Parts: sequence; C-alpha cells; structure tokens
Amino acid sequence: MSTASSGFKLSEWIFTTDHKRIGILYLIGSIAAFAVAGIMALLIRIEQMSPGATIVSDVYTGGEQYNVWLYFHGAAMILGFLIPGLTGFAANYLIPLMIGAKDVAFPRINALSVWLFWAGIVLALLTFVVPDKPDVMWTGYPPYSIKTGGNLALYVFTVHLIGFSSILASVNFLVTIIYMRAPGMGWMQLNMFIWGCFTALIIQLVFVPVLAAAVTLLLFDRYLGTHFYDPANGGDVLLYQNLFWFYSHPAVYVIFLPAMGIFYEIYATMAKNRIFNYKAAVYGMIGIVLVSGEVWVHHLYYSGMPDWIRIGQMVTTLLISVPVGLMTISLFGTLYRGAITFNIPMYYGVAALYLLLIGGLTGIPLAMTVMSVHLGETSFVHAHFHFIMGIFAAFSVFAAVDFWFPKISGRMLHEGRAKIGFWLNFIGVNVTFWPLFIIGVDGMPRRYWDYSQFPAYFGNYHKVATIGAFIVATGMIITISNWLLSAVSGAKASNNPWGSKSLEWTHTETPPGPGNFPQDVVLDGNWSPYNYSK
Amino acid sequence: MANSASGHGHVHHWETSVAPLLIVGGVLFLVVFGFIGWFSYNSAMLAIVSAGIGTPLLLAGIAKWTGEALTHKPLVEGLSPIALPIFIVSEVFIFLSLFAAYWTMRLSAGPDWPPAGTPTNMNLRLPIIMTVILVASSLTYHVAEVKLEHNDRGGFITWVLISVVLGAVFLACTVYEYSHLMHMKFSPSTNAYSSIFYSITGFHASHVLVGLGAFLTVMLAAVKGLTNQYLAFCVGLYWHFVDIVWFFVASQVYYW
Repeated sequence: MSTASSGFKLSEWIFTTDHKRIGILYLIGSIAAFAVAGIMALLIRIEQMSPGATIVSDVYTGGEQYNVWLYFHGAAMILGFLIPGLTGFAANYLIPLMIGAKDVAFPRINALSVWLFWAGIVLALLTFVVPDKPDVMWTGYPPYSIKTGGNLALYVFTVHLIGFSSILASVNFLVTIIYMRAPGMGWMQLNMFIWGCFTALIIQLVFVPVLAAAVTLLLFDRYLGTHFYDPANGGDVLLYQNLFWFYSHPAVYVIFLPAMGIFYEIYATMAKNRIFNYKAAVYGMIGIVLVSGEVWVHHLYYSGMPDWIRIGQMVTTLLISVPVGLMTISLFGTLYRGAITFNIPMYYGVAALYLLLIGGLTGIPLAMTVMSVHLGETSFVHAHFHFIMGIFAAFSVFAAVDFWFPKISGRMLHEGRAKIGFWLNFIGVNVTFWPLFIIGVDGMPRRYWDYSQFPAYFGNYHKVATIGAFIVATGMIITISNWLLSAVSGAKASNNPWGSKSLEWTHTETPPGPGNFPQDVVLDGNWSPYNYSK
Repeated sequence: MANSASGHGHVHHWETSVAPLLIVGGVLFLVVFGFIGWFSYNSAMLAIVSAGIGTPLLLAGIAKWTGEALTHKPLVEGLSPIALPIFIVSEVFIFLSLFAAYWTMRLSAGPDWPPAGTPTNMNLRLPIIMTVILVASSLTYHVAEVKLEHNDRGGFITWVLISVVLGAVFLACTVYEYSHLMHMKFSPSTNAYSSIFYSITGFHASHVLVGLGAFLTVMLAAVKGLTNQYLAFCVGLYWHFVDIVWFFVASQVYYW
C-alpha cells in the first residue's frame, strides 16, 4: 500500500494520492497541453501572415487543416491548460497547505481526477494520429459539428473526461475547504486564493454538467441519429449555443477567480501588506458567482434572440464590472504603503493589472448589443478575450509557478533568465494582439485563414502579430527551460524565502513531506495570512 | 479525531493507491475507445478489444477501491455524506439541461406535439407500475439501513437484496418498454420526441444501473463482514435521488 519516502520512485508518483504530487502531475499535463496548443497558435499565425494560402496545402482543403489548428489551440488552451493549471495544479498544491490540512478530503478521488484529466489530454493528442481529425473549434457548434467528416467523438469525450475530472475535483475541494480548515481558522481569515478557488469551484460544480449534457446530445445527434439540434425534425440549433455558453461563459470566471487569488497572494507577500478591503474583495468574488449564470446570452447577440433577453443580459454582463472592480481596487490597494519587493512574481503581477485593464475596458463595448453586433465576430473580440482570459490567466499560472517555486522544488528560481522570459512574453503578447484590435475595428473577421477579399493593409498588421507570436514562443522556451534548470540546479531555498505569513510558508518544510505539517496546525482568532503589521 | 492513530498525527510515507488509475484506464478503454471504435470507425473488432481491455480494468479498480474504502481510516471521518449531496447538485444540473432541451422543443412545437411517428397507443400504465416499484425499493433500502443501525448484518443483506431485485425489475420494465417501442418503429432517430424520450429515460436508467452496482457493492462487502454506515448512507441517498428524479421523468416525459 505504501512505502517509506527515500529518493525517486516512479510507482510513488503514478499511484500517488498525495495532493502535492497530484498538483505537480496536473502542472506537467497542463504545460504539455500549453506547449502543443502554443505550436498550433504559431501555425495559425504563420498562415495569417499573407492574405491567401501561406502554409495550408490549397484553397479547397486548407480550411480543414486550419480548423484543426483552431480546434486544438482553443480546446487544449482552455480545457487542457488554463482550467487544470489553476483549479488543478495550483488548487491541488496549495489548498491543503493554506488551510492547514494534511491532505484533501478524498485523496483517491483526487487521484482519479488527475488521471481523468490526463486521459483527456491523451484523447486530445489523438487528434494528430487519427485520419479524421476533429475540426470543430473548441465550441463544437452544430450543424457543422454534426455534418463534418472530423471525429466529433474525440472532442466530446475529451470534454467528458476533463469535465468529470473537474466535477469530482470541485466536490473534493469544496468539502476540504469547508471541513478541513485548521482549528481556529475562520472564513474571514482565509487566504484570498482559497476564496478564489472556493467560488470558482462552486461555478464549476454547477455549470460543467450543463456542458457535459450539451456535448452528449451532440454525440447522440451525430452517431445515434437523434434530432436535438436539427430544426428540420423539431430540434433547435440554438439550444446547443445556449447550453454551451451557459457553461462556457462562467468557465471564464472559473479561470479568473483563482487567477486573481494568486495575484492577491503575490501582492500581499511582496508588498508585506494586508489585503486592502479584504471583505469587499471576498464579496466581489461571491458576487461574480451570483451573476455568472446570467450573462451567457452576450455570446448569442447576433444569433437571433428576442430584444428583451439581449438587453437584460447586456445589463447583467455590464454588472459583472462591479464585483470585478471591487476585486481590482483591493488588488491595487494592497500595494498602497507597502514595502514592495519587485521580483519576478511581481513582474507578472504588475503586468496582470495592465492586462486586466486593457482586457476589461475592451470588454465593455463587447457587452453592449449595438457595439457587439459590429465587433463580435472580428479579431477585436479575439484580442479582447486573449488579453483578459488567455494571457491574464496564463500569466497567473506562470506567476504561481515562479512564486511557489521554492516551496515546490526546494530551490530558488534563476531570476535573470526568468526576467528575460517575462519581458519577451510581455512584449510579445502586446505585439501580437494590439494589431488585431486595430484591424478588428476595421472589420477583420475572426477565424478566417483567407482574408484576400479584405483591404490589403490587414496583411501588414497580421505580419506584425505573427512576429509577436514568435517573440512569445522564445520567451516561453526560456521560461519553461528556466523552471527545469532551476529545479535541478538552483540555489537551495529556505523554508520561507519571501518572509510570507501564510501557512504554506510558515508551517511547512521545503519541500513539504507527506502529511504536510510537522506539527498539527492550531490557530487563534488573531491569525491572518496577511498579518504583516506585527 | 483526525488521524489520531499515527502518533503525533504525522504521516511518514507517501500514500498511494492503484485503484484510481485502474478505473481511468477502464473508462478510457471500455467507454471511450469502445464507443469510438464502434461508431466512429464502424469496427466491431476495435470496440470488442477495447471493451475486453477496459472491463477487467474497471472492475478491478472498483473492487480495489471499495476494499480500501472499507478498511482504511480516512483523515477526517464522515465527510462522504456531505460530499455526495454536493455531487448530486451537479447531477441535478445534468438532468435540468436535458429537461431544458425537452421543454425548448416541446414549447416551440406548439400544438404539433407529439410529432409524427409517435405511436398513439403508448403504454401509460407501465410507468405507474415502475413508479410503485422504485418507491418500494427506496422504502426497502431504508429498512436495510435501519437494520444496519441495529447491527443486524443479516437483515441488512436481506433487505438490500430485496432492493436490488426491485431495481432489477424496474430495469427489466425499461428493457421491455424499449423493445416494444422499437418494434413499433419508435427509435431514438424517429422524431424530436423519441430523441428526448430515449435520452431522458435512458439517462435515468443508467443511474438506476449505477445504483444497483452500489447496492451490490455494499451487499457483497457486508457478506464478507465489512460494513460502513457512511457508505450505506451514501448509497441510500443516491438511490432516493434517483427515485425523486423518476417522478420528474415520468410526469414530464410520459404524462405531459
């Protein structure tokens, strides 16, 4: 059943039920998904360098090749990298450590979750092996997804496996947070990251099943001949879009909330300061949960919706900026009168504020029906959600790895190489996505590989964007190889190199062993993870 | 209470379990590769080989898991009766999505419901019998739980067995009904109503099947002398949930 810990044993990793090791397994899987999905992004960018066919084979089948890249990039980045990187890796590694628990409530279910996720990754990677590659974007809209020759079952089962993994993880961590906090730890003493995960997992628990149902009906329509999405036989094609976005918009908050949580931890620790307006930020997070299920229609503004629904959901969509505003003010205010250490996690932290600002402000016109009808299917929306959801959240994963690197690996990260990686990433994403904002306003559609019928100057902006993508690729190669190098050869880390007040730093060894805490953690009412004034 | 067995409450080794990986392997081969082999590539060979690999993996995983769950002390005891209702929340949302699909179709069809192809003489007595059977099985399982509370292991086994028989009769009714309807050329692809009819009743039946598996698991464990009040409670809770869902299925799909 179990053995003593000495050295590396493969069986202790693949059969592990320890939350820290499971967290690392999540990290390896999600970085692998990120790398392959990143290569797809490069292929997409190379193709768009010129208006007609650049690397796709010809005009007739080029669209199919391009659709496969879009499919894999979107599905793997969201389902394989961002969600597992945050609610998989970060939540697994940190939640028990931050609440003073020895492990999660159900360690075996936790192991089941991580391997279901890996099975999903394997299934997604089969895309490159099978002859009938899935080509349905990450959205899988019918009727195309039902009529295409691409293998829809691979897409649906990838969603099922990763979705079931998410539901089990939600149950597991919600119970863990509610019932396994250290004696004396009250709800208003929790780390902000715990609150971010807690709220995100509630969203995940409620909304993922809807996505699972939506894609299951898609599977039935395709392979069993049912008529759910088939208007010719009494079905409703918009039903899929409604069910899909009923999950997939809240999925943005599943990513956003833990990502914000990570930045709160970094800001408070590096500024040696309390969380500014802690309670307001917590209520902001809860507010997002409450509103998250009532905004999905803004993805369907131009799909034929009655005005009263469109206007109602425009209001709820704009309302989201209130809780997000509360959280952002808290984040920014945490720096106020702090003694700031400006190191690599903080680089990502400050960049995140900028990404939040640009991504958030460009979201406002998209929330408004009149503007969205013009901008909605252009590269403006493409750049908007990459800023707010893609890059903001990806930076939070990188920041989390950098910030908790000493605890996880027992070694310090090489700051110099990490900073080179950061600057390339940061400059690269701006070079990539600002041109797409500009030509998006001018009418460049999303998802097109052939834009030769549009103004010729679009090509110049696309070329700049492609250069930006390669800058990011260089930055990521440096960032990831720096993690690997530092994990092997970095300087030994002390137990609490940042001088944090949070339990995972103050009460554990580096790296934490089985059972996490050498002594049982007992806290009093004055304890706070942000108590830097004493 | 937490882990008081091991000295100062400190764990000295990395915990492992083979069961989760076995189950994932089983699901991947039996369900995913089996389905893809059969439907995507029309290869009975691929489907059978996949199912042949997946089924033993899945069963071995479940057996290993149950054995560990009944013999190992968890970090904090008594959390599963809290976790299961949380899991049931997500189950509720799957059923809600299916009902939302049904209501959308139903309401947009207006007076043209049920669509052409639906038999006019659907058997509406059978669902009443099935309802009675399912409610009875909830009650018999409750009796089993009471027996367990009084440490009457033999009584527990007997009453779980009665519940299993009732559940199996319910499934047999479903199979009978399906074959009868298929015979009348009412298949999943007939029309919008048949799509939703088979999806909702089939999805519910799959829950009955899982419930039966759970009954058998606690029953066989009890035969071997292993009982766990939390596990027995969770199995019952799940079964009552399946029972309650059936009221919605029957009232919406058959009688509306």
